[in-house]
Amino acid sequence: MATILTPQATGKLVGKRVRRREDPRLITGTATYVDDIQKPGMHHACIVRSPYAAARIKGINAQAALALPGVAAVFTGKDVAALGPVPCGASLPGLRVPHHHILAQDRVYFTGHPVAVVVATDRYIARDAADLVEVDYEELPAVAAPEKALAPGAPAVHPEWPDNTAFTYHQEGGDVNKAFAEAEVIVKQRIISQRLIPTAMETRGVVAEWQPGDKALTVYSSSQIPHLLRSLLAGMLGLPENRLRVVVPEVGGGFGSKLNVYAEEALMGFVAMKIGKPVKWIESRRENFLCTIHGRGHVDYYEIAAKKDGTILGLKLKLIQDLGAYHQLLTPAIPTLSVLMMPGLYRFKNILADIVGVFTNCVPTDAYRGAGRPEATHGIERMVDMLAAELKMDPAEIRLKNFPQPDEFPFATATGLSYDSGDYEAPLRRALELVDYPRLRQEQAEARQQGRLMGIGLSTYGEVSAFGPSPATPAGGWESATVKIDPAGKVTVLTGASPHGQGEETTFAQIAADELGVDLEDVIVLHGDTAVVQYGIGTFGSRATAVGGPAVYYAIQKLKEKIQKFGALLLESAEVTFTNGNCVCNRNGKSVTLAQVAAASYRAMKLPPGEEPGLQVTYFWEPPNFTFPFGAHIAVTEVDRETGRVSILRYVAVDDCGNIINPLLVDGQVHGGVAQGMGQALYEQAVYDNNGQLLSGELTDYAIPKAGMMPWLETGHTITPSPVNPLGVKGVGEAGTIGASPALVNSVVDALSPLGVRHIDMPMLPEKIWQLLQQGGQA
Amino acid sequence: MKISGTHLLALGQEGAYRLLQDPEVLAKCMPGCEALVRIRENEYQMKMKMALASFSGLFDGTVKIADAEPSSSFRLLVEGKGKIGFMKGEGRLRLSPDGTGTQVAYDGDVQVGGTLAAVGQRLIDTTARMMIKRFFDKLDENVRTTST
Amino acid sequence: MIPQSFEYSVPNTLQEALQLLAGGNAKVLAGGMSLVPLMKLRLAAPEHLVDLRRITGLKTLSESSGEIRIGAMATHHDLDSSPLLRQRCPLLAEAAKHIGDVQVRNLGTIGGSLSHADPAADYPASLLALGAKVKLVRAGAERTLNLEDFLVDTFTTAAEPGELLTEIIVPVEEPKTGVSYQKMVQPASGFAIVGVAARVRKSNGQISLARLGLTGVAPSPFRAAAAEARLQGSAGSAEDIRQAAALVSSNIEANADIHASASYRKQMAQVYAARALHAALAEAS
Repeated sequence: MATILTPQATGKLVGKRVRRREDPRLITGTATYVDDIQKPGMHHACIVRSPYAAARIKGINAQAALALPGVAAVFTGKDVAALGPVPCGASLPGLRVPHHHILAQDRVYFTGHPVAVVVATDRYIARDAADLVEVDYEELPAVAAPEKALAPGAPAVHPEWPDNTAFTYHQEGGDVNKAFAEAEVIVKQRIISQRLIPTAMETRGVVAEWQPGDKALTVYSSSQIPHLLRSLLAGMLGLPENRLRVVVPEVGGGFGSKLNVYAEEALMGFVAMKIGKPVKWIESRRENFLCTIHGRGHVDYYEIAAKKDGTILGLKLKLIQDLGAYHQLLTPAIPTLSVLMMPGLYRFKNILADIVGVFTNCVPTDAYRGAGRPEATHGIERMVDMLAAELKMDPAEIRLKNFPQPDEFPFATATGLSYDSGDYEAPLRRALELVDYPRLRQEQAEARQQGRLMGIGLSTYGEVSAFGPSPATPAGGWESATVKIDPAGKVTVLTGASPHGQGEETTFAQIAADELGVDLEDVIVLHGDTAVVQYGIGTFGSRATAVGGPAVYYAIQKLKEKIQKFGALLLESAEVTFTNGNCVCNRNGKSVTLAQVAAASYRAMKLPPGEEPGLQVTYFWEPPNFTFPFGAHIAVTEVDRETGRVSILRYVAVDDCGNIINPLLVDGQVHGGVAQGMGQALYEQAVYDNNGQLLSGELTDYAIPKAGMMPWLETGHTITPSPVNPLGVKGVGEAGTIGASPALVNSVVDALSPLGVRHIDMPMLPEKIWQLLQQGGQA
Repeated sequence: MKISGTHLLALGQEGAYRLLQDPEVLAKCMPGCEALVRIRENEYQMKMKMALASFSGLFDGTVKIADAEPSSSFRLLVEGKGKIGFMKGEGRLRLSPDGTGTQVAYDGDVQVGGTLAAVGQRLIDTTARMMIKRFFDKLDENVRTTST
Repeated sequence: MIPQSFEYSVPNTLQEALQLLAGGNAKVLAGGMSLVPLMKLRLAAPEHLVDLRRITGLKTLSESSGEIRIGAMATHHDLDSSPLLRQRCPLLAEAAKHIGDVQVRNLGTIGGSLSHADPAADYPASLLALGAKVKLVRAGAERTLNLEDFLVDTFTTAAEPGELLTEIIVPVEEPKTGVSYQKMVQPASGFAIVGVAARVRKSNGQISLARLGLTGVAPSPFRAAAAEARLQGSAGSAEDIRQAAALVSSNIEANADIHASASYRKQMAQVYAARALHAALAEAS
């Protein structure tokens, strides 16, 4: 795919398109995932799950399962009643938190709810035995859509809370009533951001091993947060945290779905301790669809107020969040991120938001690539386009009119954020240039003359990234690094971020190699094992490079001071500079290599005053703020009049993620992000029927974009360094997803605007558009 | 999922009504039905083996007849559970004379759950219709053989 | 995703296979593209699988006396890449190209696909338009059926227990026949929401042959006889095509699922029929 701008390289390696060091093991099949782990005597677990979305469990009979040769145990709710609960890390005033047992007790709340676990000597026997567990259910009425759940008389998901409301949350900034009173134009729209299934290529999996002699448990899990998982799992299982080790081997994608602590992780720990044998559970794709968190799930009611010249005055939002049946780790916090991002990239200072968090008989929603921010950006960017249409303004013009200017940064928002740095016009102007916007509009006019439905859609997105300052996060927002140089001068970086496909084994090595003046090959980056790595937070929210990277950087700065001191000792000089991997005497030019310094530091014949032997530094970096990446995407589409099918004629993404450490990886993140945003815009939706059965329950019915469905992506970058961290980076993991869905929907609405179409909800399936065409645009 | 349709039975209305509630006939005509055992008045225990090319599944369930208005209408409730999921069907059958035969109009709701619902989504509608068609084909056959 | 245990046989000859199948309890494993996922989900639980992969001669494509015989174990890729088919029966090669993805085309077989009788499979549209026949063999007997008679209903064929589909027979395409397969793809599964195959020939400015096969629309793939009749003898004008296309789904009770309603499917059947006819006619003239 095309990259239009190659940013200036800032170092020998930083800024260069260095190929990912992770890839050879991934593409040769030599990486170790959870399912590759084998342990002597290992047993296998299969989980019995509810086929009903709501039911009372009248009885469980496991006799036949236990009688099957090879079955070691069957555990049910009563065996684990004292363990857990599955934790919710988010706190909101008045939040109702249902007790989330690791196996259902007397009632099930969603299709796929774990009811029992069968443990056997191999996975085939475990699966056969699961079919023999007889569960007597009494089916209860279920509700599977948030607005239906709020309607009077709806079945209560949790009988103790008949209104199905987990929380309400109100936030306002400025004076929204005044803004709306002064408005010359007000536009309102209901906008849906449908439930999505994250669909990581590797499903979840757990291996747990109990060492009775040490009273220690090791849990291997496909997770984004090894240390947080250890802390929370220790609490669920009643183990001292120092006797629990979490190992995260290769992870085949998470997209937020593994930023969690799941019942099965605790359940396998329990099973291993109970049977005294290692046990493995690998989630099937079907379980992944049913039981791993979903994303999005909004029904949003927006109102935007503006002056006739296009100046936006204020924005109101009523946000109905489909929470599912329980709170997973961050479930209720996700919609609050939407509210934080309500101002988008615009200058207006008056907002009002009300969230209603709604229980439904569905699997919980939680963080999925972008987590609250794609929903918000989609809504704002739709509203800005609708406002432009109402005022007959060009969508680019209305945006340019409402951006704060670069000298207004740091920019304080109505939601209490301080945008770090920004030049919002730059990526938009670049994107408009790339598509030759005036000409493109002319082409569109000609196409319309010919009766073709061609659309041009813009989105100028912003996001809050690099979570984040600790006071703003549930579990600490710092990140850690240990950098150690062994006696031969080779470098090992231990990062507390737990990259799982993002490529920090490459980017952190680039940073370390440049800072220490060594070759890339002399650096290795380790992560994901709580017995190896100091405490860490993890990889999510576009934070690994923007928070974990500075931790590596600062650890190296401290290390360099020490290297210099050892160098001075060896060179017997007071003025020594560490440069390009050598300590050089400023006076006589004599030098010693890093390897010589390292050897001397461990041999420790002489020590610089006040210094310890060895070369190792651990640094925990607390960021002073979030970072705020931004960008502009333009999608050119055409709608087939006869079928309603959307074709993407051109897709341009110009992102500004601050300084770029590796443009190749940034492009990769943008490509993957756009693919997922496109998935939401055009194809994906979790479909539950009225009884809470997931109809899009397999990859045959849930359409994620495949390579052949992707348009050619033209990517470009502008660079506005972040002042928040010394690397000037902002993070880019979620940018593509956030920018893509509004660009595509705006484009298709633009294509259909001659028919009077104002809005289309996602996914824009051909039939939905065909219906609009049949009705002459009147939905 | 809603299902409705009509079928013309070559039988008078009273005969058709009796035929449609005759457990022996139902057992023979319901596709895959292996056994129908009376539990109580108008309620039967059913074992059913669904086999459709590669698909197969065993279901245990019940068949109930309710709200009977002799000769003109009744409700049929079919429920089955198996390892691959469950299914529930509920429908009203209305009988009306049509020449020498009887028009049977059915109107109901089919619900499936478990693996069947998630994976068979694309197939449920066509499969349900096919099973109804087979039921009536068998019923017609039954009418022909008993009347000759 | 773990099937129930089953017995597994890999016969080396057709005779052995037929003996294994004679009992009636065994299920044939061809490419496994439909059966194996169903087994993993336990929606299918055959007691005994007879894998045909080692039987030579079931994969060959050959032409004799105006017919092309295709071994049931020929993969979609075999068909798509066959010079014989591309030259002598291009519609079938075209249909094969539309199936699933590369991996599926490398493993899936034409015999397996037809025997599974999925109502949205790609082949039947083209094969019905071609007037294909299938050969069914059992121990000591064989019979040849028209494809219409073989495809009985959704997932239901006329094959009796113990009978094996061994061959698909299509006519060599006559010169100047225009063909086209047009498909609206279901983006998750790759199956057809609607698939229409058209074959047309003209002589003296009039359509002398019109064949339309449709898949994905109804419980069974079908030939659009009314539309064919409307075209027969016509000039094949845009208006002829429009009127003919309007007939393809007029009496059909169409399928519905989360991807497309029945009415949309019916409408798309007409749109894709018109597209297939336009493309085929462009080739024919």
